[in-house]
Amino acid sequence: MAEPTELLHGTLDALILKTLAWGPRHGYAIAQWIETNSADALRIEQGSLYPALYRLERKRLIEAEWALSETKRQVKVYRLTKAGRARLAVETKQWERFAEGVARILLEPT
Amino acid sequence: MPPLGRFARELRARVWRPSVDEEVRRELDYHLEMLEQDLRGRGMTPEHARLAARAKFGDVARIGDECRDIGERREREMQRSEWFEDGRQDVRYAVRQLRGSPRFASVAILTLAVGLGAVTTIFGIANAILLRPLPFSDPDRLVTMSETTPAGREFAVSEPNYLDWRLRLRRVSAIAAFSGRSPTLRDEGDAERLVAVGGTHTLFGTLGVGPALGRVFTAEEDTPGGDARVAVLSHDLWQRRFGGDTAVLGKSLDLDGLHHQVIGVMPPGFDFPGRAELWVPLAPSERYHRGDRRLQVIGRLAPGATRQQVAAELTGVARELAQEHPADNGGWGTRVAPLAEAYVTPQLRRRIVALLATVALLLVMACVNVASLLLARASTREREMAVRAALGAGRGRIVRQLVVEGLVLSILGAVAGVAAAAVAMPMVRGLGAAEIPRLDEMTLDWRVLGFALIACAVTGVVFGLAPALHLGVTRHAKASRALGVLRSGGRSIDGGRLRSSLIVTSVALAMLLLVCAGLVGGSFMKLMRVELGFSHENVVAASVVLPVARAPADSAAGRYGPAQAAAFYTEVTRRLAAAPNVQAAGAVSAAPFSGDNTSMGFEPGGRTSSRPEDYLNANWRVITPGYFASLRITLLRGRTFTDADRAPTPDVMIINETMARVGWPGGDPLGRRVKLASGRTMSVVGVVRDARYLFVDSLPGPTMYFPHGQFPWATMWLTVRAPGDPAAIADLVRREVAALDANVAVARVQPLSQLVTDSTAEPRLIVLVVTIFASAALVLATIGLYGTVSYTVSRRARELSVRLALGAPPAGVVRDVLGQGVRLTALGVVLGSMAAYASAGALRAILFETSPTDATTFAGIAVLLLVVAAAASGLPALRAAKTDPLIALRSD
Repeated sequence: MAEPTELLHGTLDALILKTLAWGPRHGYAIAQWIETNSADALRIEQGSLYPALYRLERKRLIEAEWALSETKRQVKVYRLTKAGRARLAVETKQWERFAEGVARILLEPT
Repeated sequence: MPPLGRFARELRARVWRPSVDEEVRRELDYHLEMLEQDLRGRGMTPEHARLAARAKFGDVARIGDECRDIGERREREMQRSEWFEDGRQDVRYAVRQLRGSPRFASVAILTLAVGLGAVTTIFGIANAILLRPLPFSDPDRLVTMSETTPAGREFAVSEPNYLDWRLRLRRVSAIAAFSGRSPTLRDEGDAERLVAVGGTHTLFGTLGVGPALGRVFTAEEDTPGGDARVAVLSHDLWQRRFGGDTAVLGKSLDLDGLHHQVIGVMPPGFDFPGRAELWVPLAPSERYHRGDRRLQVIGRLAPGATRQQVAAELTGVARELAQEHPADNGGWGTRVAPLAEAYVTPQLRRRIVALLATVALLLVMACVNVASLLLARASTREREMAVRAALGAGRGRIVRQLVVEGLVLSILGAVAGVAAAAVAMPMVRGLGAAEIPRLDEMTLDWRVLGFALIACAVTGVVFGLAPALHLGVTRHAKASRALGVLRSGGRSIDGGRLRSSLIVTSVALAMLLLVCAGLVGGSFMKLMRVELGFSHENVVAASVVLPVARAPADSAAGRYGPAQAAAFYTEVTRRLAAAPNVQAAGAVSAAPFSGDNTSMGFEPGGRTSSRPEDYLNANWRVITPGYFASLRITLLRGRTFTDADRAPTPDVMIINETMARVGWPGGDPLGRRVKLASGRTMSVVGVVRDARYLFVDSLPGPTMYFPHGQFPWATMWLTVRAPGDPAAIADLVRREVAALDANVAVARVQPLSQLVTDSTAEPRLIVLVVTIFASAALVLATIGLYGTVSYTVSRRARELSVRLALGAPPAGVVRDVLGQGVRLTALGVVLGSMAAYASAGALRAILFETSPTDATTFAGIAVLLLVVAAAASGLPALRAAKTDPLIALRSD
């Protein structure tokens, strides 16, 4: 397996939105989910998740609520808002187009 | 943990909101802990796990800071949007409230519209006249400089004196002189009299305004003897006569038969010294007579110099000149005043300030009335407020809602008021623009609108706070107190004292305003009925200017020397008097109320060797023999002039009563020889009645009349008395003048009454405005009084019913209620009278022959207000007395 890839700028937001599309989660769970589901291919500094979460919350793409965790601790649980869901659709489209473009060049037989 | 269980904890978790700081800290701590646990679960030692978790997480401090930053911004945005959301709710609620009580809303809005509309209109006047800067560069540094007569009266400046001032003054950076001209512009047989100015070449530079097109005069063109046939046009004249054609430069104008070359056009709006259409070089000369004072002088203060310094320096220069030329300058002084005063006299300024103060009072009264209406409502809404407080609305929230209601009201009032002002302003402009300087430029500009906006905001907050204050009195806000209000069916402390004081204030203000209006109105009536001393009905006046010959040779070329001028006026008045329907015709050097005046010193009687300083000043007029008859000025003693009074017969004069009284107290002036400041001596042959020629509202000064046969004058006003259509007489005047000399232009042909009316435009305007205020004040006072008193009575309906049910006589109940209203009103009347009495001094500026403490006015207004109060409290009291006690008791 190759070295995990650095994250492209701006894709973290899309990943968070995608994660929350599966249901409300707290920060740690989001980090876990991204690591697991990218099969460890993406390397993120877990802390950088939080500024992104706060930014998304400020833009009202996600909203937060304090709840009790499985371990009876108070945790902030994030959920996708309607605006966030719409944004995810847009970002996904953009990513598809971007990946397609990159692939067309890189996968061209030389 | 207490045994409340999951439910309580979950509830707490839902409601609980930590600070941003706490929020970030908790979230990051939790993450790190979970990460550590996870790693320990994979077999790491606690120490290792801790380090590895930190490595995997990144820089905790930096990430924490970043999150806090974003989080705080998020909080602020949320608060702001919540605030706006609440505000919108308040506005919606306020509008719903107003819709729910349309009668209250319309009265309140109308009251505010009256107050704000009036204050905006008057501010518009003040803005146009007082506040807008003069259209010159750095106008505050401009001054007028004039000479003063030995008697201390402001006078014009002679040409040699001006030139000496120019040479000697160090503390002015620029100085210029000018004097009015009225040349006739002839253009293919079409003659037009222009308002022109002869100015020095420094005039435009002193004002700091350059031409829009071409150039202005050079120093060479402004030199006596130089061929100074050049002219600068105003923007208006350029548009009017030349259609704004730039090819006008270099064109030749025929002014009084002389060709002038157009060299420049001034920018639009440049108008100095007022209504000027054309400027030509003045070319002042050293060799002109030093005692012949005709110039007006302006100067610009040198950097760092003050007006006082310039005044002192000029006084010094005048003293030097008096020593050098004692014959012409002995006893003469100087005066330096701001240029702005030439436009707006201190008197007009005082009048406008008095108006502003009056209108501010009116607005305060409108506020007081709306506040008391709102207060009355606030009491009935106590129950609603108590419910809201019980449901958790904070006091701040409730106060804010009341203020928002006030603002909504005042904005609606302001919209109506500004609309009213927009309608009123053209009316005011039309009424006064001709006579009141700068009023023609009055518009609803941004400054006036800004003022209206501020007035509206202040108003809204002020009377919105009144009911809030009332709430403050009944602060309770604690649930128990609120519940008390609810249980008692809405009754609690009813803010009686506050409301009573509002009634008293409102009445006092009304008293003050109405007394002012009464006094001003009374003096206006006097002003209209004032004995002018001459009759202006059925008289047509027309200004005639004969082109003056400077040298005897000129008279051949259609220009007039003294003898020809005298012959011209003798002939034209003879022909006019002979025309059918004409009763009398004359001519005078300055028509009444035309704004023209001439005066001179004379040696009073009973003195033999008086120095020029002791001379008294008298106005003088050159007249033709028919003048007194044309204006019906009564001859008291002696004789009038005849055609025989012409050079070389001995000089004679006729004087008015005042001059006879002032000059020869107790003596008989007839036959006396009077020495004039000019050196001529003449004998008094007659005394006529006083006539007010300059101002309706000031007593006539000493006046002397000279026969035109001995003092030929080129510029005269014809005065023709004839019943019937003034237009026909005007045509007759034009025809007769043209028949004598087709090249002489006739200007300002109008009924003499027009001149008289114009000169009363300013007092008329003030009175109109004050009368409008007075009516508004009366209406407002009535509404306010009626509203609050009738409300109080309805509040007491229950109590009154109990009393009636228990057998109290209805008359007694009515008397009781009536007494309360009248007592409050009487208190207001007393306070208002005291205020009016105290402010009487300020009123003096706008009163005419009326004492500011006129007892009749005070008494009349007091009775009026008491009657209104009796009606306002009596009617609802009667209604209460007629109500079936049972119904009143059952209601609420």
